[in-house]
Amino acid sequence: MTSKKNIKIIKDSEFGLDSRYKSKKEYQTEAAALMEARLKRMKNLSKDQIIRAKLMQLKLNMEEFIKQPIYDNRNYFSEFLESYVDTIYSKRSLFAKDIDITPTKLSQVINNHREPRDEFILRLMIHSEKVYENICDFHKKTWYQVYFHEKICDTMSSQEEWRPKIERHVKFSESIEK
Amino acid sequence: MIIVETSTGIEHRVKISLVDSVDYKALSKERYFFDWKEEQNFEVYKLCIVGSSEILGLISLERIPSEWRVHIRLLTVSFEMQGKKKIYDNIAGNLIAHSAKIAVADYAELACVSLRPKTEIAKHYIDKYNMISKGLTLSIEVPEILNLINQFDHD
Repeated sequence: MTSKKNIKIIKDSEFGLDSRYKSKKEYQTEAAALMEARLKRMKNLSKDQIIRAKLMQLKLNMEEFIKQPIYDNRNYFSEFLESYVDTIYSKRSLFAKDIDITPTKLSQVINNHREPRDEFILRLMIHSEKVYENICDFHKKTWYQVYFHEKICDTMSSQEEWRPKIERHVKFSESIEK
Repeated sequence: MIIVETSTGIEHRVKISLVDSVDYKALSKERYFFDWKEEQNFEVYKLCIVGSSEILGLISLERIPSEWRVHIRLLTVSFEMQGKKKIYDNIAGNLIAHSAKIAVADYAELACVSLRPKTEIAKHYIDKYNMISKGLTLSIEVPEILNLINQFDHD
């Protein structure tokens, strides 16, 4: 039976939780004990649990990437694809076989020597749908969003390179009043 | 992520984002329990219903990369969201799940979210969020941390 005291505790337990360590010593002692216990538990993680965690990490990182503009030289689509394939498969050629492409084509996409064609992304989309089915929500559009978000960011950040050449081909024969 | 209106069961989509410097002026101790200005050097997130600027809950986090851990420093729902009269449910759960997402995004299978509640409220976090205790610290790790994310994250 729940006592009146317990009811009060449960009622207030999410209003004002102070979880800060009171001293450096307390933090160090608690952190050491926690780490020791965690390392023991980590040893018991199954291969399947590790794969699930890595795939959840990949999904979260992809979702984070498409939320905001990123202007750097990294090849995000290729990196995410590499992570996806290497998490699930012992050999990349097995994934290539599963989505019916040649290992060479897959390697070229992963190494950013070839643009993924529509068909490639569609097959990847269907593959991911199945893989994520029992792990977490995974939107079908995620791979496309990553691909096009990267394209947009790259285009916007490299205007100095392409704009002078492209601008020469753009004219305004009808004037637009301001 | 969603919260549930307790009286009707209606679900509302929420957004969890970093607290802006201007927000701190509105974060009174009466309504949000702590002096949140003291946390400005840490990652402080607010939870609002999408389309509203009213802050319903707050969480302050510290990332500890050397331990693959995200530690919850402070957590609160707003004054109106506590106890039997609370208007919405799942505010704290969404904020804890948000911490779990950060931990898994950074550390994958090594991810851990920890907190250190007073002994008398530890049971609440163990029962409701499936945390486990070691000393005074409670933690949630793989695989339970993935279940927690799945329980709250449906964006």
